[in-house]
Amino acid sequence: MTPADGNATRRAVFARAVGFIVLWLALAGPAPADLPAGVVAAAAATWVSLRLVPPSAWRVRPAALARFVVRFLVQSVIAGVDVARRALDPRLPLRTGFVSYAPHLPPGPAQSAFCTLTSLLPGTVPCGTDDSGALVIHCLDVDQFVASQLAKEETLFVHACGGDRDND
Amino acid sequence: MSLLLDIFTVVAVSLGAVFFLAGAVGLLRFPDTLTRLHALTKADNVGLGLIVLGLLPQTERPLAAVKLIVAWLLVQLASGTVSQLIARTARRTEPPA
Repeated sequence: MTPADGNATRRAVFARAVGFIVLWLALAGPAPADLPAGVVAAAAATWVSLRLVPPSAWRVRPAALARFVVRFLVQSVIAGVDVARRALDPRLPLRTGFVSYAPHLPPGPAQSAFCTLTSLLPGTVPCGTDDSGALVIHCLDVDQFVASQLAKEETLFVHACGGDRDND
Repeated sequence: MSLLLDIFTVVAVSLGAVFFLAGAVGLLRFPDTLTRLHALTKADNVGLGLIVLGLLPQTERPLAAVKLIVAWLLVQLASGTVSQLIARTARRTEPPA
């Protein structure tokens, strides 16, 4: 590890620890008596986050991330309206089935994060992988263009997290 | 102004309740575990989002607003994660419809 890497790691540890402390304060309130528990929780959370998502692997692009978040919010509203409409429709319009989707992300935390986002997008819930490692996606309507939609979401997600910088 | 905010709260929270109702109807009407998961995760996620949005103008301290938003994000994260775990188990144990 070069000294520059060491500095980057220290910065990441510090930023994450501060983030978790702020999160604790927002949730539990700023009572001084509770603070020791918050510090322990934040330290544990920082340790876990460093193990699961090592620093400097990906560098987030703020503008791309903001665009992704807005798009994700709009998509999840569409997802909610879509499923509510199907549930309340007397004819119960469903064409459920499985679609397999080979992700570009390798198995690991990034792929898991992508799966979690996918489960909140319209019409898709990932339910594990098949023998070839492709994601098996359960769809409300197999007639929708699920695979091309997911490919687009994945590209945007990787771009927002800066993942396409290191993988070239 | 506060009347407008109150109206906003009533409208947003009521809309949120409609989504929760739709999610519950889906849970009862949809044919299998995997399809029911769609109803719960997606409709309830929007329902909770609308309720949080509606309650934001009623908070007295900014920290309370942050807490509401964090609670919504944590629920999103939990529902996105747990729905996948249930879906994996359901696919293995339930014959495809």
